[in-house]
Amino acid sequence: MSVYEFLEKNSIYLVLIIALIVWLSVFAYLVKVDAKLKKLENEFAKIENKEEIEK
Amino acid sequence: MIWKFLLGLYMAIITALAFVIPIGFIPGLGERARIIFLHVPSAWLSVIAFFVAMLYAIRYLKSKNIYEDVKSVASAEIGFLFCFVTTVTGSIWAKFNWGSFWNWDPRETSIFVLLLIYGAYFVLRSAIEVEERRATLSAVYSIIAFITVPFFIFIMPRIMPGLHPGSKGDPEGAGPVVTFKMDPNMRVLFFASLLGFILVYLWMFKLRSRVEILKIKIQNKIYQEV
Repeated sequence: MSVYEFLEKNSIYLVLIIALIVWLSVFAYLVKVDAKLKKLENEFAKIENKEEIEK
Repeated sequence: MIWKFLLGLYMAIITALAFVIPIGFIPGLGERARIIFLHVPSAWLSVIAFFVAMLYAIRYLKSKNIYEDVKSVASAEIGFLFCFVTTVTGSIWAKFNWGSFWNWDPRETSIFVLLLIYGAYFVLRSAIEVEERRATLSAVYSIIAFITVPFFIFIMPRIMPGLHPGSKGDPEGAGPVVTFKMDPNMRVLFFASLLGFILVYLWMFKLRSRVEILKIKIQNKIYQEV
């Protein structure tokens, strides 16, 4: 039985694959936003510290 | 960082199990009952998110700290998002269980009204430019809006006859969700899914609040320098 035939007869697995793709995309987006935000927060903290030292 | 990847894996496993575990036979629902692992946790989570929005609104009114307002909005936004997910997934389920995407069942009407109430919250916020006034008014609105949430989610759809499982006059008793007469597999996975949703909510809430707080800090910095 080919993969196509298997999925045709068990369409629930196709929905499962789509649901997994949706979750993994959302997860990847959250991880990306988290990493970017951390970088920005660190940059901002560095600027603040620098200014405090100069004062 | 490791817990985030563990959460990603945990939710992926929950998603996979939601489609494959045996759930027993539920009259009138059959395999379509599997929506319970996505639809119901997201509905409950929208209630939790609106509740957190109300808590931060109360804290804002007490302290007048703008960061509390930011957190209140962040939670309301995520609550609205999950409420929307509940509506869409419910509507797709309705197509296959009842034959049409929308038929003004009491449950559908109540979630639609809830979406309108919180939609109006964001409209209110966007209509006021003065920061403090916006925060105060929307905090008061958020508290009043939450009072309607338990009524629209838990009470109204259960005291009115309708097609949704758990409605008054449901031919299967109170329905699998309300009485928790679920298959043991189903019950464990349902609560595991709810836990996963709560953790995802906490992560999203933290991210959204941090973004807005950083934005305010940068704006203040620019303002000071100018």
